[in-house]
Amino acid sequence: MQIGFYFDQTRCIGCSACVIACKDWHDIPAGPEKWIRILYNEKGKFPDVFVSYMINPCYHCINPVCMPVCPVGAITKRIEDGIVIVDSKKCLGNEECNSKCLKACPYNAPQFGSEKGAKMRKCNYCVDRHLKNQLPVCIESCRTRALDAGPLEELKKKYGHITKADNFVYSKTTKPAIVFKPKIK
Amino acid sequence: MDDKKNLQKNDEIRIIRSSTAFDCGGRCPLRFHVKEGKIVHIEGDDYENKDEQLRTCLRCRAYRQYIYHSKRLKYPLKRDGPKGSGKFKRISWEEALTEIAERLKEVKEKYGNSSIFLATGGAYQGALHDGMFAMMRLLTQFGGYSTHYGNVSSEGAVYATQTQYVSPFVGHSRKDLLNSKLIIMWGWDPARMISGTDTIFNLIKVKEKGIKIICIDPRYTDSAVVLADKWIPIIPGTDTAMMIAMAYVMITENLHDQNFLDKYTIGFDKFKNYVLGKEDGIPKTPQWAEKITSVPVEIIISLAREYANTKPAALMDCQGPARSAVGELYNRCAMTLTAMTGNVGKNGGSAAGGLMGIPYGHMFFASRIPPPYRNPVEVGLKSVRGSLDLQLRFQARCHTNKIFDAILKGKDGGYPFDVKFAWFVNNNFLNQLGNTNKSAEALKKLNYMVVSDLWLTPTARYADIILPVTSAAERNDLLRPWPSGPYFTYMNQAIEPIGECKSDLRIAEELADKLGLEAFEKYPDEPDALKFLIKLREDTRKNIRNINKFREEGIHRLELVEPYVAFKEQIEDIENKPFNTPSGKIEIFSQRIADLNDPENPPIPKYMERWEGRFDALSKKYPLQLLSPHPKSRVHSEMYLVEWLKEIDPHVAWINPINAKPRKIKNGDEILVYNDRGKLTIKAWLTERIIPGVISIFEGAWYEPDENGIDKGGCVNVLTKDAYSPGGASALNSCLVEVRKFNGGM
Repeated sequence: MQIGFYFDQTRCIGCSACVIACKDWHDIPAGPEKWIRILYNEKGKFPDVFVSYMINPCYHCINPVCMPVCPVGAITKRIEDGIVIVDSKKCLGNEECNSKCLKACPYNAPQFGSEKGAKMRKCNYCVDRHLKNQLPVCIESCRTRALDAGPLEELKKKYGHITKADNFVYSKTTKPAIVFKPKIK
Repeated sequence: MDDKKNLQKNDEIRIIRSSTAFDCGGRCPLRFHVKEGKIVHIEGDDYENKDEQLRTCLRCRAYRQYIYHSKRLKYPLKRDGPKGSGKFKRISWEEALTEIAERLKEVKEKYGNSSIFLATGGAYQGALHDGMFAMMRLLTQFGGYSTHYGNVSSEGAVYATQTQYVSPFVGHSRKDLLNSKLIIMWGWDPARMISGTDTIFNLIKVKEKGIKIICIDPRYTDSAVVLADKWIPIIPGTDTAMMIAMAYVMITENLHDQNFLDKYTIGFDKFKNYVLGKEDGIPKTPQWAEKITSVPVEIIISLAREYANTKPAALMDCQGPARSAVGELYNRCAMTLTAMTGNVGKNGGSAAGGLMGIPYGHMFFASRIPPPYRNPVEVGLKSVRGSLDLQLRFQARCHTNKIFDAILKGKDGGYPFDVKFAWFVNNNFLNQLGNTNKSAEALKKLNYMVVSDLWLTPTARYADIILPVTSAAERNDLLRPWPSGPYFTYMNQAIEPIGECKSDLRIAEELADKLGLEAFEKYPDEPDALKFLIKLREDTRKNIRNINKFREEGIHRLELVEPYVAFKEQIEDIENKPFNTPSGKIEIFSQRIADLNDPENPPIPKYMERWEGRFDALSKKYPLQLLSPHPKSRVHSEMYLVEWLKEIDPHVAWINPINAKPRKIKNGDEILVYNDRGKLTIKAWLTERIIPGVISIFEGAWYEPDENGIDKGGCVNVLTKDAYSPGGASALNSCLVEVRKFNGGM
């Protein structure tokens, strides 16, 4: 089984309640470490403006390229649900290995705190909640219900197979586990 | 049951169902996860129907950092340096309250009770612990106090609805938006300013149902980003001109609903004469309006036709455009358009009027422990009931946006009191009212000042004594939502007070002892007091039959059989159920205003170009109009220090590249924004989302003046004016500035 995300880009107001819910649930201080981010895109000229927001957690890729580049094998993909998790205790820290995982990931999912030699941490699909049949906290925090998550095949059945969205490039190498209702100019 | 599920996360975690009481426009169920007496996580509503969940926004998602912030005040403080220096020393409650009591007695004896000034704001809106109610009760029994009049946010809309409907309940329940065929959002950004917890989600449903939404705003707001089929940018302060030109199109093309106007309104003919130019020789054509508003003629014409021909249609005029020099005329004009199109009292329509509230569970009906009698300082004044004469409001009070001017000038400045003692409770008015630099000067001269707050705010820096108060998580209380609802929430105390913090109610009770006010009734048992407050008002008394269940669940939802529609009763049966106005009809022409004989306050809604608008002579010196809309990452100036929120929305000034380029301002540059009232520095954000000629700085950043008098905090009110409209709107969006790149120094 492979879990995944659904993002309705036409509904996102960029409010970032998901970003804060994530920081609260995983107890992450303010600073550079953000397990989910909201990307902003603005195009066009006044008054013909186009704006989109895009969620950027770890997409728990089918083929996570971060995994093989880790020198100590700290990153694994759970067989039972495809969640990509990192064992931060094993991680050498961003100085020692020069953030190989971050360089490999096309989506900047691996995150590091501001401290020296920070260990990699990232979105773990709220695995603690997942094991209790709860959705990730970002999903339940979304005021506009722009987010959903679950088994990827079920999401595709429910929402379709679209893997394109504004401000997002689908990597055929890593195959991120996400489908969209994209916002199109 | 749900609690049990959550308990599995950790056996030691208790789930406390609660809410918060900010001045935010929402009222959201929260689940505090409490472990060993500390909140460790916060989750939102878990109502079984996910579509109906009242999901909290980012602010209360970050509430944990607010409660446990290292800069929260934990002990009473006494000034230990010059006023405004921010230097304080810790003192005991005994010392603080003894000193305050002595000063109160001294001022009362020497100058009389009118010299005691109570400044109340909306930062905490619970029934029991609200400092405004507690202090009013205390000071009334102490012989009275002076205070202020006029809501900073919405007074233009309040005045407008009192003029034309004499009712503040001009809204529909939010689900009624789905019955509309066209929605015009005018100066309304619920994505940021909330306007009811579920409002933005209901609007998204509206959009997805295929209902057309048009957004009129100087900015392409986040609401417009997801909702707008069309964005119509408009010059600030000119909304009324566009509406009047729409009326011109409707009248000349005979698109207006004359039957509706004949049956339900008075004064349309006078308005029509004005619109057609029979009054002043200027026909208010779309060509006339284009020159004023920057909205192209064809857009005005097509919107007028579309709005008149689409039934029902909801014109949703929010309050921001009314925070201007003659702001009430904007809401009055919007109401007039809703009558012209026959949309008042109809499902899917709208009566406009800016307030958007419904009379179910509304905060206007909040229970409170009333003072036992009227404030003695205000006894014997002429009655204000039914009057639109603002001067009657000022018999014993000053306007809210003039608090600091009144402190500065007193009776010599024409105010009804000389302030010798001021207490600021539930507000940060130095930061949040117009002309902050001048206000700071007033506070330096003020004899004595007490602030009760959770933070050492810019206002509190000038205090003689600061009293630390508890947060919502440290209180039990009864809450009501803002305009939409309908529901009630029960705030369950989740943790013990931080440090030595006390609630405003407890402070009043303890001070009553110090003042020897033996009759001052106390409410030591909070659950009992809340039962009393639930029973005090008819709607809670009738609806909440099981108080224990309400308390456990933290919310009581009211089921409406059908959506609430303002004035439906009147429209269905005007003969037997007239409007509350003197004529019993919608008063497009108001005799009550005509009687005031004030040229600045016309009896029919008009477009009037007034101070610090686009065409003011001052615009040669200060060519940019400044807007100060609501921020998304704080509640006004509340939560300003919360780091999680700060990093979400860095404080920047929106500026169109058309205005930035000739000033050699690049994205991210530090800029100086200035006028005769003040200067601030802020980073420029170049965006196509704002109309050229306008700069926008979100209100609420904290005032932080440097030695040169430049505000490094980016508090927008160092630039705004401490003025109000003839209807009492705080005119903070009528403001002209210039900007330039900032290279340090002056």
